[in-house]
Amino acid sequence: MSGKLVTVGVLVAGLVAGAASGWFSLQNGMVGGETYSGWSGSKVTGSVDADPWTRARVAVSGLLALNKSQAIYFSRNTDDSGARLREDCRYRVTGGALPARWWSITVYASDNYLPLNSDDALSFDQTEAQPDGKAAWSGVLSPKRPEGEAWASTSKAGDYDITLRLYQPTAAAQADYASIPMPKVTRLDCGGAA
Amino acid sequence: MNRKLKLLGLFVGAGIIGHVGLVMAVPHGLMSVAMSRMSGDGAAINQFVFGDRTTKDSRRVVRPSPDLAYASCVYDLSKGPLLVSAAPSPNQGYVSLSVFAANTDNIAALDTTQYPNGIRFVLARKGQSVPAGVQVVESPSDKGIILDRRLAPTAELFAEVDKARRADSCAPLG
Repeated sequence: MSGKLVTVGVLVAGLVAGAASGWFSLQNGMVGGETYSGWSGSKVTGSVDADPWTRARVAVSGLLALNKSQAIYFSRNTDDSGARLREDCRYRVTGGALPARWWSITVYASDNYLPLNSDDALSFDQTEAQPDGKAAWSGVLSPKRPEGEAWASTSKAGDYDITLRLYQPTAAAQADYASIPMPKVTRLDCGGAA
Repeated sequence: MNRKLKLLGLFVGAGIIGHVGLVMAVPHGLMSVAMSRMSGDGAAINQFVFGDRTTKDSRRVVRPSPDLAYASCVYDLSKGPLLVSAAPSPNQGYVSLSVFAANTDNIAALDTTQYPNGIRFVLARKGQSVPAGVQVVESPSDKGIILDRRLAPTAELFAEVDKARRADSCAPLG
């Protein structure tokens, strides 16, 4: 093999390996980076101050996300014990007053889209779980509809994650994500015990 | 040995260029795809397109919220500024207009808490002539996306806000 051919081969191999490592670095979805009680969230999501990696990661898994002055996004794919969220398990999500005008919790499949089920329960939000915006609240993540509770269906969600949206967060919440009382996610049971 | 070291340096250098190049290109590439999808392959530029209620089949942009009603305007400022406005929802429900540049940055977000009677601004490139006395948002790129988000967690609320948002405007300055 001529020396020139080897040089070109090394150059192409380097470019391909670099591009592959770049793509791999964007595959953590919205989970990863800074965490707050098990929830991942970045202060520079949507911001002009975002570094190139954050901007690219958000483009892949959260395109058109708002900056924190308008909305804060937190995601997680584990329960409070650290175990991976599973489609066949039931979880209770609990919280109290959140420092925002309105909040919601949504289930996303691993392809970053909504699960392909027809339950018409892809999320639950403050208007459903906490109409006064102040009281303690709870909701259920499960593949089957619970009786009389706020519910987000995990049917056909596979290896899913959940996203908490806080719209119009308070100035204090924007300044210090660690001050936000994050909801808890507790596993109830698995494997159709429901 | 010297040649092997040179080739190793070439590999590492090319790897860095490949890594950074891809990371820099991804936002522009995905934004371009989103603009194409939202504008019907360029058929609807500088005008709002009103999305249906978000369902499991909503696949134009990743991570849609099923609690929100979305309308989008793919903008092109190459021929001049746009006047953008959004009417309030009934009962002062949450409404925001957010502007995204071609690199995905959210360069502006205005909502009906700040503007309870409706949101109105001119979107322009730096240096373009704009009328006095109106709020101006400067875009760093000719092209991008404006999103109208409205709280609509039920079918009934979606129907209400859908009526209200039909008064939205995204059009060249007359």
